[in-house]
This record gives sequence, structure tokens and C-alpha cells, in this order.
Amino acid sequence: MSSIVLEARDIRYRYPRGQEAIKGISFHFRRGEKIALVGPNGAGKSTLLQMFNGMIRPDSGTMLFDNKPMEYDRASLRELRRKVGFVLQNPDRQIIAPTVYQDVGFGPVNLGCDEATVKEAVTTALRHVGLSGFERRPPHHLSGGEKKRVAIAGVLAMDPDVLVFDEPTSGLDPSGSEDLMELLDELNHEGKTIVISTHDVELAYPWADRAILLAAGRIIKEDVPDVAFGNTKFVRMAHLSVPTLLELSAELEKRGFAIPDRKPRSVLDMVHIIESQARGSCCHPAPGTITVCDVDILAAGAVPPWVHARPGLAVGAMGTRAKQCAATGQVALEFTYGVIDKCILRALRGKDSLILTNGSMVGRVAERVEAYCRESGNRIHVVEMSEEDPLV
Amino acid sequence: MFEELLEDVAQTNGLRETSTWLKLAAGLSAIVLCLLSTGYAAPLFIAVILSATILVLARVDIRTYAELFLIPLWFALMSVAVIVLISGGEHVYWSWDPLSFLSLSITRESINYGFFVLCRVVGGMSALLFIALTTPMTDLFVVMRKVRVPDFVIDLAMIIYRTIFFLLDQVRQVYHAQVMRLGYSGWKESVHTFSMLCGSAFIASWDAGDDLVRAMDARCYDGKFALLGENRPVELRPLAALALFLVATSAAVVATQGMTLL
Repeated sequence: MSSIVLEARDIRYRYPRGQEAIKGISFHFRRGEKIALVGPNGAGKSTLLQMFNGMIRPDSGTMLFDNKPMEYDRASLRELRRKVGFVLQNPDRQIIAPTVYQDVGFGPVNLGCDEATVKEAVTTALRHVGLSGFERRPPHHLSGGEKKRVAIAGVLAMDPDVLVFDEPTSGLDPSGSEDLMELLDELNHEGKTIVISTHDVELAYPWADRAILLAAGRIIKEDVPDVAFGNTKFVRMAHLSVPTLLELSAELEKRGFAIPDRKPRSVLDMVHIIESQARGSCCHPAPGTITVCDVDILAAGAVPPWVHARPGLAVGAMGTRAKQCAATGQVALEFTYGVIDKCILRALRGKDSLILTNGSMVGRVAERVEAYCRESGNRIHVVEMSEEDPLV
Repeated sequence: MFEELLEDVAQTNGLRETSTWLKLAAGLSAIVLCLLSTGYAAPLFIAVILSATILVLARVDIRTYAELFLIPLWFALMSVAVIVLISGGEHVYWSWDPLSFLSLSITRESINYGFFVLCRVVGGMSALLFIALTTPMTDLFVVMRKVRVPDFVIDLAMIIYRTIFFLLDQVRQVYHAQVMRLGYSGWKESVHTFSMLCGSAFIASWDAGDDLVRAMDARCYDGKFALLGENRPVELRPLAALALFLVATSAAVVATQGMTLL
């Protein structure tokens, strides 16, 4: 098992002249985990998050980073804050400089990097969040989703090990939220530990590796999401609701459906359960193929003719750059979020699909499909699109 | 109450990608030439050329530009009227002495002088608007750094710049909330509501300051703020255009020395 990166040992915190906000909490996060801190408003989520990078010092108990107790002197705090990036709920409060370039470069400059290094860090961070070319824009000219991405880029520019997000999707529209969760997945895939706080159970349930339910400054339950969210007693204590998929599977179980030990985490899982019991198999005799196209490698002009030569093909895009590529090539996108699952669902119906994406996400498609095939016993082919592909 | 901001126009204008140095040089030298000119023609020439540049090259909406221009023009016209009436001269067209110590007259000299002042104002205005509409503040910070303005001044300016827009947004929200609940329905209510607006703006700015410090701390603030991007390089065509403009205007200043209207 991978090593522990953040740990809390019986921490307590009381606001000056206020109530006790954190009443004895212990937990640990492992490297590369996706953690969701879930709880109602006022449960102490934000307070707890601010302890992760030393913004708030607990009154008692110890916070550990990399198995070393946190120190609260200036130099240690700087080092800690470089390694634990914090993205505030309101990006307006986080963006401090007058242009995107200056804001994203703020961290690296204060870490003492020279100009060339800063420039490289900023360019990489902006490309990561899909905002290349926004360098000279002032933040007040950006949309809410773009501001959020600038705030994230500002943290990414310092190359932290752990990323902490306070309510990452608040104020974003549903498709913006999906985009953002996809970005978090991508970052996690690159090895970063990600912690989010939220009260959106539907969002946290399929995403997290582990969920921590908080209420009134205490941890109610800490477990994998299907256990943590599956217990109605805990969920009610935390003023939350049971995710629809879990509720549905519980109802189906009561009606005699055999639900596997691993509860359904997505529509795909649910379809699998229902179809394999109703029809014996959920797979078309000749399943469709999923073609993956790396928009960084393939020439931009190659995609539209390829798509037009194949009527009945559905196109999905993962990541901002793939979406931009589709927009410039005027390729109509059927799926813009949850793309892999939706393409698997299509393949199960015997239909083909194309996924536009880039970088490390290309490998993720194959991994996800392979994991699904292993679990379900179905066979779906993933092909990488190359220049030599015949047009018809 | 909240119209389009000058800065928004500047951020999207057609000359955004031209070197800041060239734009500043054009605007500032136009102002100097306006002041050096002794005839009315050269400032008018500057006004026409720069207005055409603002409208055609920078693609600023003509109504926006006209509105911006008219506000100071009213003040200028009123001042010019006073100048014409009280400055006196030899060729008197009309005069009136309503009081023993006050005599009003319109003379050929006073009309010439008034018109000259008006042309200077128009020329200077267009030069100022040229800078304001084509050069966003964010580009000026880079210039400030290059001309060795102390870092703390730039830091402050940058924080103020960022905060202005944030606060404006807050004030806008509070204002709308007040209007929706009929806060400005009468004179007495208006005073009361406006005082509440000021109060909440103060609290919002206080909060914003707190948050700024926290946000900076969270990102390893170490006394360095004034990171700046790069300005666009000086390109040949704009440089040639600027040179042509300066030569033509200087020639106009010399050629129309002492030119008067009447």
C-alpha cells in the first residue's frame, strides 16, 4: 500500500470566542488517493481543510505531513504550502494579480524561481487546465469556470503533491462541474493526492476513493463511498441524502435482483446489473469498437473527414483541448462528460464511437475499458487512431 | 449607474497587440505638440488623426467614443464661453457693462483666443482618450516597471487594480438587490439606501483585504508581487506610422504658427 501523506491525530480547534469547530478528529490520506470530505454547511469542512496547509493551527492534537509533525514557523509553512496546494471556494478571492499570467506565476516567483522557470511553469499549468492563450487577459473578463481554472493553474504552477479543493463545483454549471471533475481525475492520474470538500453526494459518490462524512465537527463515518453513503443512519446524521444509484440498487436488491458486493458506481454498472439479469448478458453479439484519437499527435485536419466517412459514429471529447479541437474542426460532439462510460455503453449496443483526448488521458481510456472488460467478461476493442488510418 | 468601463474597451481594442511604448509615445507627443502649437490648425489636425485611429484601427464603437468625448467637451465649451466674454481686445463686436467692475465683450481677439483654447482641448482630449482606449492598465504596469517606478508602488497599483473590479462587482450586486426591493423609490429612502451601500462596500473591502492576505499566504508570499509579463515587441509598420504621424504633426505645428480663425 502506498505511503501516508497527510495525517491528523485527534485534532481540536475552537474559534476565538466561538464554538468548538473541530472536536477531536483523526484520519490519514494515502498518496494518490481521491478523498471526499462530505458534510452539511457548518460541519467544519472548510476549517478542517485549512489545517491541511497550515492556515489554521489546531488547538490540540497533531497534523502530520509526510509522517512529520507540521511545524508552524515561516520556513516550514512555506515548504508545506508548496506541497499542499489549496484552491478556495471563491476564485475571485484567490486570484490576486491583474492578469492571468501574473496570477499563475505568483507562486513560482515567490518561491524564488528565475524568469525562464516561471514562464515554463505558467505555460505548463495553463495548458494543463486548458487555458493556453489566456495569459494577458484580466481575471474579471473570465467566466466563473475559467476563473476556477486560473485559480487551479496558480496552485499547479507550484507543483504540489496534494491538492485541496474547497467546494470545487460551487457556482459552476453542470457541464462545467463535469469538466472540473474530469480535470481532477486527470491530475489524480498524474499521481497527485486530491482532497475535496462538498455536500453534493451525487458528485462525490462515483468520484471518490474514500469518503469522510463530517457533522458538527466530528467524523461520523470514513469508508469507501458505497459503504459510507449506503448507511441511511449515517447519511441522515450528516444531513445528506443517499445517492440515487445506491438507493436504486438497494430497492432492486429488495425486489430479488442479485447485487454484487461492489455496489454500482455509475450508470454503466447499473445497466450491467439490470441487463445481465433480465437477458443473461448485457453485451451485443458483435460489440462496437472505441477509437481513441490523441489530438496532440494527430493533425487537426485529419479528424473531420475521418468522422464524416463513418455515419452513425458518436464522438466524445475529454479535456478542454480536445473540445477546442472539435470546435475548430466543426465536429459535433455527442458526449462531453463521462465519455468513457458512455462509449462503453454504446459499444455494448454494437455501436462504434470515437474519443478525442490528449496526453495521459489516452492511456486512461484503455485502462478503464480493460478494467470494465475484466469485471464483466465482455470484450470491447480500443483502437488508437493513427495518420495511416484509411479514410473509409 | 454602471456603464461599460474604459478599461473593458481597452482590453478588447484593435490596437491591443501593438507595442505599449509606441502607443504611449504617440499619445504623449501629441499632447506636447498640442501645447507647443501657437495656431489652432495643428491641434485640430491631431484630433482628427487620432480620432480616426481610435475609430478605425482600434475599432472602438463610435457611440462610446462620442459619449466619452462629449463630457469634457461641455466643460471646455463653458470655459471657452467665459474666456471669449471676459478676455477683451481691440476689434469690439459687442460689449455690455452690467456692473461698474464687470464688463463683458466679444472681440476678434477674444474669439480667436477662445477658439484656439477649444482646439487645444479637443486635441489633448483625443490624445488622452487614445492612450486610455488603446492601452489597458495591465500593459502600463510593465512600462512602469521598465521606467523604474519603485516596486512597492507597482505592487500597490496592481492590488488596487484587481480589487477595484472585485469591489465594483460586489457593489453592483448590493445595488441591484436594493433596487429590486425599491430602495431608491424616494429621496429619503435613496439617502438611507445609499448609506447602506457604502457601509456594505466598506465591509466587503475589509473582507477582501483579509482574504487577499490569506490567499497570498497560501501561495507562499515572500514579498514578491510585481511579476510582469512581456510587452509586445516594436513592429516595423506601427513604428513607421508613428514616425509619419510625428513628422506630419510637427510640420503642421511649424507651418500653422500663429494661425487664427478671424
